[in-house]
Amino acid sequence: MSKAIACCAGLALAAALIAFPLYVNGYYLALGISVLYFTILATAWAMFSGPTRYISLATVAFFGIGAYTAAVLGETWSWPVVLLAAAAIGALVAAITGLSTLRLSGIYFVIFSFGLAELIRQLVIWYEVNIHKSVGRYLFSAVTQDVLYWQLLGLTALVFLTGFLLGRSRYGLALRAIGADETAASHSGIDAVRIKLAVFILSAVFMSVTGAIMAPRWTYIDPSIAFNPMISFQVVIMALLGGAGSLFGPVLGVIPLVLLFEVLTATLPNHFSIVLGVIFVLIVMLLPRGVIGLISPWSWSTPEGGAKGTAPVRARSGPLLQVDGASKSFGGLRAVDNVSFEVAAGQIVGIIGPNGSGKTTLLNLLSGALAPSSGAIRFGGTVITGLKPYRIARLGLARTFQLVRVMADLTVAENVAAAALFSTAPARATGRELLDLVGLAQMHDTPAGELTYIDQKRLELARALALTPQLVLLDEWLAGLNPSELETGIALIARLRDRGTTIIMVEHVMDAIRALCGHCIVMNAGSVIARGVPDEVLSDPTVVTAYLGGADA
Amino acid sequence: MLLIDIVLPGLVLGGMYALIALGLTLQYGVARIMNLSYGESLIAAAFGALTLYTGLGVSPLVALLLAVPCAVVLNWLLYRLLLARLMRRGKDRGAQEIDSILVTFGVLFAVQGVMLIAFGGQYYSYSYLSIPVVVLGTTLAVNRLVALLFAAAIGTAVYLLLTRTRVGTAVRAIAVDAGAARLVGIDVPAMSGFAFACGGGLVAIGGVLVSMFLTFNASMGVVFTMKALVVVIMGGVGNVLGALVAGLMLGVVETAVARLVDPGLTLAATYALFLAVLLIRPTGLFGRAAA
Repeated sequence: MSKAIACCAGLALAAALIAFPLYVNGYYLALGISVLYFTILATAWAMFSGPTRYISLATVAFFGIGAYTAAVLGETWSWPVVLLAAAAIGALVAAITGLSTLRLSGIYFVIFSFGLAELIRQLVIWYEVNIHKSVGRYLFSAVTQDVLYWQLLGLTALVFLTGFLLGRSRYGLALRAIGADETAASHSGIDAVRIKLAVFILSAVFMSVTGAIMAPRWTYIDPSIAFNPMISFQVVIMALLGGAGSLFGPVLGVIPLVLLFEVLTATLPNHFSIVLGVIFVLIVMLLPRGVIGLISPWSWSTPEGGAKGTAPVRARSGPLLQVDGASKSFGGLRAVDNVSFEVAAGQIVGIIGPNGSGKTTLLNLLSGALAPSSGAIRFGGTVITGLKPYRIARLGLARTFQLVRVMADLTVAENVAAAALFSTAPARATGRELLDLVGLAQMHDTPAGELTYIDQKRLELARALALTPQLVLLDEWLAGLNPSELETGIALIARLRDRGTTIIMVEHVMDAIRALCGHCIVMNAGSVIARGVPDEVLSDPTVVTAYLGGADA
Repeated sequence: MLLIDIVLPGLVLGGMYALIALGLTLQYGVARIMNLSYGESLIAAAFGALTLYTGLGVSPLVALLLAVPCAVVLNWLLYRLLLARLMRRGKDRGAQEIDSILVTFGVLFAVQGVMLIAFGGQYYSYSYLSIPVVVLGTTLAVNRLVALLFAAAIGTAVYLLLTRTRVGTAVRAIAVDAGAARLVGIDVPAMSGFAFACGGGLVAIGGVLVSMFLTFNASMGVVFTMKALVVVIMGGVGNVLGALVAGLMLGVVETAVARLVDPGLTLAATYALFLAVLLIRPTGLFGRAAA
């Protein structure tokens, strides 16, 4: 019943929006156009910047590219082709800049994006002055304000549809996982670079097309109009005011601010800048999560589980993991020095050694966080040396981190779901079962950042298991547990082995090593100094010396 | 000779860039606040010097005595009233940086708006110490040389203060790790506010000196913010000597592009250089590897 009412209301609203130019005068139509184009820009901005938190000030770069494409090609080419050209050029520029810049994060990206917009503007000015011999261009277009409005309305519908589909798809959750903790996301099988790039390009395409559609609104265009940095700023504050973390957040910021700017330009043209600045400060200070944050704290829907493809046929003959002469140097320091070992399927292998002996570095080599300086690593017959972490994770090699890394802003269930997104192996357990296994069943919808330290460790393990791994690397997973938790932890690892998961554990808790490991490796100063059954290895004089120092110590 | 014609004016221009970047080095490098309204402070100081000189005939070098304390107090207030709150609220350094960018962005527009009302959009300049001197066959203005000397002197003084005094050591400790600094008994909010305020004082010096030889208007602040940022990032965040060298380098590159390629491309050259440094060495030419 209420659904039917909502549906009718939606249809009525859509009809009203479509018919808008027919019943209002030019002033309100112009206002409607402003609302629409800022809605598209802010929604497209939030599509990328909301989940990843890469604050981009390059909106106007793409907007201006679109406007200039329309200005240059508009008179010769047919209009749909012009829009396609604007989309293509915007996508191309976004791809080039994205490839080079998306590894910058935080402040560097903000400044880079601002510099990019300015650089493009300066280049266009230089081109217009020196080659085109005139700073400005006149646009003669048959596009009326009505048609312009309808084009924008169509694009608005498209941007919302795209955002909606993106949010529901696995890429939406993957993007949020990247925003929460890029390293953890990569080790959960998410190709962070490609996903960020794809969404960055998508958002840039919307911005470029908006610029192209808007170009006929001006009869005269020059770089300071098309590349006005104020547009980037306005888009950012609109999206932040509304709430960049959700699909309909930005539009809640666009409507009041467009109206406010309109009133300000009419009544206080000289004080525009001051009021804009003060509003900006107030929004950041008082509404860190935007208007929509006041309404619903968690507004994204979670896709359940992930796409389950068919499992690749994995080679089962020979050892599961084969490390052959792996070394890693940092400058003159050889953190891992010519380490070789094999792990058979179903084994639990312990790696022990004093602090600084290279254990975590070795795990980083295995999981792809670092590329070895030399040596080869084979996993299930495939050479994984130097592969990106997300590839290794997808092959079925999962890890936890010594300094626990959960995606703090995502719920417990989302953390696990994120790891299952791109896994190619058939899932043996649902997210709920995995959370049950590690004892977090009650915490399903809790944000991961609110868990206790121990529970975050459990969550990390569940996330690693969500990859349906053949091999799990545990980096001091038992450290910091009290005696009873330790007992539960050891039992849990034993249960994993019984489920057929192979485990490599770096650990200082010797009781756990004795209880669990059939084989262990002792490292000191980057090299393996002993290997074998735990009890024998631990009484080996070289090992004792490595831990406790020489006889005179 | 072309080389000297490029290098000498380039160094003088670069000295100015280094000068305007010193304050940002303290504010961003130490207090960890990306102050986007930095250029506006600079322009405000320039307007202050202009008003004092044209209205009361006060020499800009004397005006420093008034401008610097004012700027220190105003920046300290900005820190206490707005930024300190954000620092407390932010979960990690990333969140703090983003919040501080956003809020100083608002401050940028507010300050710019005030100056636009007071002075309008037109360009201003006045003539002080604009006496030509010939150095190695190249003509330079005395006021620019004064700015270069100030940049060198202040850069050295800040460097010594940071490395040789207790306060300086505390400030550097915060720059490295604010959490650990708190553990060894450093009052982080107070020291950060102090560093931020000092940065504000330095930018006022830059603004007053720049006003002696540059034409400026109320909406030019963002140009200086960008130039200062380029220098700070190129020099390595928080690295005072790095900023000095990077500033000089930027000056030479800009002069070279203006002389050899096209004067219209100097700004583009600045941004291109900046983007290149960000991509190749995000920690700066003299910066340490990222923590």
